[in-house]
Amino acid sequence: MKKLIQFKNIVKAFDNQIVLKGINLDIYENEFVTLLGPSGCGKTTLLRILGGFLEADEGTVIIDGKDISNIPAYKRDINTVFQKYALFPHLNVYDNIAFGLKIKKQSNDIIEQKVNRMLSLVGLEGFGKRDVTLLSGGQQQRVAIARALVNEPNVLLLDEPLGALDLKLRKEMQIELKRIQQEVGITFIFVTHDQEEALTMSDKIVVMKDGEIQQIGTPTEIYNEPINEYVAKFIGESNIIDAIMKEDYLVNFDDHDYKCVDFGFKKNELVDVVIRPEDIDIVPRNKGIINGEVKSVLFKGVHYEIVVETASGTSKTVTMHVLGNKDVVNENAKEKISASNFYMDLEDVKTLSDSEVIARANAQAWTFDDEDVSLTNVEYDVLEKTGVYPCTFKTSKGTQITVNITVVEPIYTEDKINEEAVQAFDFYKTVDEIKESIALDTDLKRWANATAWSLEDESPVEIWDVKYDFDDEDIKEGDYKITFSTMGRELKIHTTEYKEEGQKVGLSFSPEDIHVMSKLGSY
Amino acid sequence: MKGFSRLVYPYVVWMVIMIVIPMLMIVLYAFTTKGNDVLTFQFTLNNFIRFFKDSIFPNVLYRSLVLAIITTVICIMFGYPAAYFISKLNINKQNMIILLITLPMWINMLVRTYAWRGILNGLPLSGEVKVYIGMVYNFLPFMILQIYTSLSKMDQSLITAASDLGANKWQTFYKVVLPLSLPGVISGITLVFLPAVSSFFIPKLLGGGDYVLIGNLIENYFVSTGDWNFGSAISLIMAIIILISMYITKKLDRDNREVTVK
Repeated sequence: MKKLIQFKNIVKAFDNQIVLKGINLDIYENEFVTLLGPSGCGKTTLLRILGGFLEADEGTVIIDGKDISNIPAYKRDINTVFQKYALFPHLNVYDNIAFGLKIKKQSNDIIEQKVNRMLSLVGLEGFGKRDVTLLSGGQQQRVAIARALVNEPNVLLLDEPLGALDLKLRKEMQIELKRIQQEVGITFIFVTHDQEEALTMSDKIVVMKDGEIQQIGTPTEIYNEPINEYVAKFIGESNIIDAIMKEDYLVNFDDHDYKCVDFGFKKNELVDVVIRPEDIDIVPRNKGIINGEVKSVLFKGVHYEIVVETASGTSKTVTMHVLGNKDVVNENAKEKISASNFYMDLEDVKTLSDSEVIARANAQAWTFDDEDVSLTNVEYDVLEKTGVYPCTFKTSKGTQITVNITVVEPIYTEDKINEEAVQAFDFYKTVDEIKESIALDTDLKRWANATAWSLEDESPVEIWDVKYDFDDEDIKEGDYKITFSTMGRELKIHTTEYKEEGQKVGLSFSPEDIHVMSKLGSY
Repeated sequence: MKGFSRLVYPYVVWMVIMIVIPMLMIVLYAFTTKGNDVLTFQFTLNNFIRFFKDSIFPNVLYRSLVLAIITTVICIMFGYPAAYFISKLNINKQNMIILLITLPMWINMLVRTYAWRGILNGLPLSGEVKVYIGMVYNFLPFMILQIYTSLSKMDQSLITAASDLGANKWQTFYKVVLPLSLPGVISGITLVFLPAVSSFFIPKLLGGGDYVLIGNLIENYFVSTGDWNFGSAISLIMAIIILISMYITKKLDRDNREVTVK
């Protein structure tokens, strides 16, 4: 195939912000090329430079061996289908399509012939006299394509043309566009942020990020052999795992060695491993190469998306002291008051306020008629060191209760492998409070002040699992253990077979399903 | 919503008192004989016969129409390029210039016309030229604003698309920009032509008295001569001409739009 377009070191900045950082890209004849990336990656800018609507700050664009950098847009053999179609509202369908031909002063009978051919190519026979503003989105789209193609350009540029269409129409147009491209046999350069669109239509995909090309390849190459984590995440669903390349064909993650087909990395190089969800099979326990527990099952139409935890997360166990109900009754004032002991983090003592003490002790007072009474007086003297401190709550009528505040050093579990830490505190609760809870897991997390964070960058990590061995409907006074844990290694699996949540399963995948990539930015 | 629709009543009352009743009075006066006593009127067509019999009156009418048409044409000629270049500026400059254009309109038109009389008095210009200067000065902002609005609302991607399809700047202008801005030009015409055709104080102040137009005529018969019947007849003829010209303008606008549907 012949090289049609060459971008050579294209640099473009807007207001000192560099949008394209030296793009080098060759596009061949009759190719369907997709520029794929999130908004702001520079894909549209590159397209506009090719169309002649923007000038590159540096670099050259060569078409058919000629530098076109100084040729204005209207003299280029390139036509564009714009994002919002940009049809001329004062012209009908026929005149919109004929616009370019009329500019070139072609004779009327030739124009008529060509326009009619285009109308049938895009499936709009008989629509010539229609008002473009009254067409549906899909029909306007077709007019825009016909209006561009009728000029018989070398290259057709499509700037996110399907973005404004609904899902069903978009799918139809994807197929339609591919068909049109094959029929007219010219180069299409298609810009999109939709990875599925790119995979469906393209001969070649150019994945872009922050003004740089990440990877160029066929849809299969890009999907099966993404060059880095960014590409893998952008194209399709994937499990991406931090790993160590022990030696050629052997990679280690989650403390296990796995055979793979990749080679050429340094010994013990830190790498990313991607395993596509559809490449993992669920098998009976101990029959696969790794065991796990089903954490969630989502129905996705054609398949189930099942998340299996194969390595446990970081966990911390605390004690919940469950007490009987000890409301203090003040017969004279006809009031009752209650509050419970609580534990607190030494670090929080500095910022302790009355309202926080009331909240943490869950202190409340009420009359015999069940009307709330405000606590007018909170007395405590907590020092900034560990120990047990009394705290008294009083109402204006002198009803009072005293509880203990236990200040403790923050204790957290660190997990070096998961690079996570979990912190939680022992706490006191009454039988009623537990029975009244409507979202017990969430309440337990809140009562124990359970938090987890990443040791890498201190970003918060979700507490995924709360385990306890009591029946909250029928709990008695006593001490109970509660374990909070983060999600361990979770693998997403696409399968058509349903599994129960909590089911213990084995997982199996072959060495070819493991794809090893260099860490982002290290190449 | 039903409650809000009642808010229209004060306007309806206002319309009836200030527009409908005076219009009916004018019609009544135009078709009756001399005398301001409404109880003793007599129907007649004499007022109209008088107007068309005497060649002076149709001439004055003709002259008024010519003045209004030429004023409108001059306003388009100056207004369109002005609006076009304003719409090409960055938004801050656009707002600034639009403010400068509207600024004189904060001052009463009469006062401004007196000022022009002072400026033009010593100059060796014919009364006709002075009247044109005054007319264009007064009505140009209306034309610029209307055209500017339609140009600045225009979707820029259409211009990009035209250039993508091979149109150079000039072709883009007359194939895309101009046709799409025509509604603005037409509302500009309405806003300039209608007041221009009936204006009386600009010709009176700047034309030096010898430049009589239909507006001056009406004013004369009402204020100086006190012949309300004939004045009403002229007013009615004037109103009919305005109605016809509005109809033609509207039709032009619609035809222009129908080009697309054809």
